[in-house]
Amino acid sequence: MKVMGVGGGAREHALAEAIARSTHSPKIYWVSELRNPGIYRIVKQSGGEYALARTTDAIKVAELAEKWNVDMVVIGPEEPNFHGVPDEVEKRGIPCIGAKRSLSIIEMSKAEMRRLQWRFNIPGKLLFKTYRSYEEAIEDLEKHADTLTWLQNVALKPARQAGGKGVKVVEDLQVYLRSEKKQFKKRHIRWIEQYMKKYGDIEERILIEEKVWGPEYTLQCFVDGRTVVGMPLVQDNKHAYEYDIGPETGGMGSYTGRGYLLPFITKEEYDRSLEIVKAMVDAIQRITGERYHGFIAGQMMLTEIEGPTLIEMYSRLGDPEGVNVMAMLKTDIVDIFEAIIDERLSKIKIEFAEVATVVKAMAPKGYPDFRDLAKNHPVYVDEKAIEKAGCKLYWGSVHLKEDGSMVTGGSRMIEILAFGESPQQASIKIERCLSNRPVRLLDGWELFYRSDIGSEEMIRKRTEIAERVRRLYKYREERGILGKRVDWHPKIGKIDPVKNLLDELKVIRS
Amino acid sequence: MPGILGIYPFGLGRENWRLARFVYYGLLALQHRGQEIASIITFDKELHNVTKKGFVDEAFDEKTINSIPGFIGVGFVSPTEEQTPIEVSNPLGLILVGDGKPELEEDVRESWRAFAELLAEEIDRTKNALRAALNIIEKVNGGYSFIALTENQELIAGRDVHGVKPLEVGSLGFDLGAVASESSALDVLGMEHIACVKPGEVVKFDPYSIERGRVKGADKVEPKYCSFEYVYLARPDSIINDIPIYKVRESIGVMLAKEHPVKADIVIGIPETAIPFALGYSKSSGIPVSLGFVTTGRKVRTAIKPSIFERLVGVQLKLNPIKCVIDGKDIVLIDDSVVRGTTLRNTVWNLKRKGARRVHVRIGSPSLVSSCPYGIEIPPPDELIARALDEREIAEVIGADTFSFLSIESLCKAIGLPCNRLCLSCWRRRT
Ligand SMILES: Nc1ncnc2c1ncn2[C@@H]1O[C@H](COP(=O)(O)OP(=O)(O)O)[C@@H](O)[C@H]1O
Ligand SMILES: [Mg+2]
Repeated sequence: MKVMGVGGGAREHALAEAIARSTHSPKIYWVSELRNPGIYRIVKQSGGEYALARTTDAIKVAELAEKWNVDMVVIGPEEPNFHGVPDEVEKRGIPCIGAKRSLSIIEMSKAEMRRLQWRFNIPGKLLFKTYRSYEEAIEDLEKHADTLTWLQNVALKPARQAGGKGVKVVEDLQVYLRSEKKQFKKRHIRWIEQYMKKYGDIEERILIEEKVWGPEYTLQCFVDGRTVVGMPLVQDNKHAYEYDIGPETGGMGSYTGRGYLLPFITKEEYDRSLEIVKAMVDAIQRITGERYHGFIAGQMMLTEIEGPTLIEMYSRLGDPEGVNVMAMLKTDIVDIFEAIIDERLSKIKIEFAEVATVVKAMAPKGYPDFRDLAKNHPVYVDEKAIEKAGCKLYWGSVHLKEDGSMVTGGSRMIEILAFGESPQQASIKIERCLSNRPVRLLDGWELFYRSDIGSEEMIRKRTEIAERVRRLYKYREERGILGKRVDWHPKIGKIDPVKNLLDELKVIRS
Repeated sequence: MPGILGIYPFGLGRENWRLARFVYYGLLALQHRGQEIASIITFDKELHNVTKKGFVDEAFDEKTINSIPGFIGVGFVSPTEEQTPIEVSNPLGLILVGDGKPELEEDVRESWRAFAELLAEEIDRTKNALRAALNIIEKVNGGYSFIALTENQELIAGRDVHGVKPLEVGSLGFDLGAVASESSALDVLGMEHIACVKPGEVVKFDPYSIERGRVKGADKVEPKYCSFEYVYLARPDSIINDIPIYKVRESIGVMLAKEHPVKADIVIGIPETAIPFALGYSKSSGIPVSLGFVTTGRKVRTAIKPSIFERLVGVQLKLNPIKCVIDGKDIVLIDDSVVRGTTLRNTVWNLKRKGARRVHVRIGSPSLVSSCPYGIEIPPPDELIARALDEREIAEVIGADTFSFLSIESLCKAIGLPCNRLCLSCWRRRT
């Protein structure tokens, strides 16, 4: 059996590790842009091969799969999906675990994802608008300045998935800070417009979405075109620094509770979230006529207005969330992949260890917004010390050079995982491990990571917010007004923004 | 008791922020901590310090605010003219604002100057601002919180190992981090209040990271949180050291009713600090609470205004009894503290003139008998009425029918901490 993987981050390292655990003893083949030291070792031990290539080059990747004559290909990151790598691989008769290009639109375009959700009336929606240019967006925002509409408190996003970057959340509640906030919005919208120019594959550039608040969690799933199987919930932490301060990153660390639920999410909320993901899979399959084989995830938030709410979708595992679940997975992953390929996921039992996990990412200073500063630093890792501390190491954005030395790639460099009875315990284990500085940069450039992930305080805080939000959405539910919004404009009168949106999308309501 | 505040931007485009207005509104929320000096300090290529006298909104008009550049902001309000931001230029440019007193010199201002200089030298020596601040805190006793901004764009905030003075952390979106004396300053800026800086902890912001560290062994040291903050200094909408001020003040009222019950028709709190006490007292005793006074003019902290004259003007302007509420009634009058007793005597006099039959004074704090070792501007001990007279005598002097303080034990209970985890110096007699 030969299995080939695509992508070179910590998530892919965790995937490779899960594949290496398989009783099928597969030979493992890999392709990524930087040579990931962890994956490289697994590949070599299995007797497979490792190639460096642009993972968005569908032809190139498919040719490698053909050349190596692999039995299946598994895709780690999103960009290969967006670029049709699964399509190209399957064209050559090789099964692929990865969302085809047309399916991966649910991640690539946040606007398409939302439209789909509204058209199919899938719960957990948010109001949104898209714009093609800065001028268009500003004109609309100005028009609604000082009115009682949802456009006062918004999330500003690049309309296309931009590698976990570029989202800003602006609450405009303090009249006295309005001019500052306005300047800020303008600057950011300009930035989005410029930034989106580098992606030629999308016309809408700017997405404005109603702002919500609440605890976030990720529900990752296996999909085979018929069945969607949910995995344990994971909470990722997007802010770069301690205390949930600072710029948005791909994720600085994540944790699970023991088993499927997080300490602050109920079974009912899990089930509802899973229903949302299932409905989205149905919807995208219906629209495209394609079968979804691979991973899918709902990045969720519990909100007052809708209860479990979709913030965005992944056409893949999360990173770092994927590391948590891959480490917990007890079932042979190759069996799961085979079941996906044969569309018989419903027939197999998928099990995860009943243990809490915490993952913490370490990145060179400069990540996420000043990556040039974070690049090309020589890396030192004392793997023995990490193992001795009871932790596991996953290599991320590090390049193993021909001469055996390693340098940083500018993104999250490594991820450390620990198991525990509770996330708190696992978090303490990692803290203890890292206090001896087993991970360093040899040129003295500094690394950072978040000590607070999975901590007692963090979970207490999340629980508090979850309880507050739950009270509110449950009350709405009881009153039958979940999802109802009302705006008011002095010249127009009462406005139903949901109706307006549906009209715009030309959805005929029954 | 000054108010301190620091705001720091992160991420791409961080230099585009202009934070003077944020600092200004943050300071307005901290105005009760000091009315003599107001400062807005910023960084843009270099450090700027605009320090002025008076109330924040008098010191800074629209034009001044708009003229202050800078994307990193620090703010300061002080109750005394002597205490201003400390500037150091050698061996490293740095501006420091502090609350409390590091035990380095006799004088508060001199202590802060010495502290700032030590910090600058230590940063220069270690080339590590976090380490440097921890080293200093480990060495320097006292009760203090500080925020320092260096010419290298490092913002360093820390608390002494006992955590006497407050310091709270907040954030705004993906963009700003902040520290402030009180969480309400963060609320006013639309920020999320996250946690307190722990006793003996230092938080350092630089353009590419936030680092935290704690003095070795600080987690084993008993905290000595300032109890005066809970009774009197902090805004009731603040949360300090995870303890909501309002809740403490209401419990104090409940405790007072239990310790010093009395028959009366209504409970009245002296605005604004004593209102939650009155609500608690009423809840526990069943005596209805009423609004007894309307205030005129600014909220001046009468206990700490400099001259007696100003205090008298202050109180008369401030508290006008509402006649129809008090006429013919037996009243429980609740105040937060007694320093010299002047204010209280005038208030009782006023109440009686407007028709009150009996006035039973209850104080939501223990008797104030000593000066603050950490720089709170309490008058010298020989001017403190509670040091000279007992409760019965005070009642006579101020013209009240009965008069009682809260016990220290009840104060601790209301705060919800064992007494040994609080600084109670000012309520305890020292010779
Ligand atoms: N509508 C919203 N309201 C409030 N916060 C939001 C909203 N949308 C996104 N966010 C915040 O921004 C983060 C990133 O947004 P997301 O849509 O997931 O974009 P990205 O592709 O950058 O991950 C989310 O994890 C969430 O914290
Ligand atoms: Mg996201």
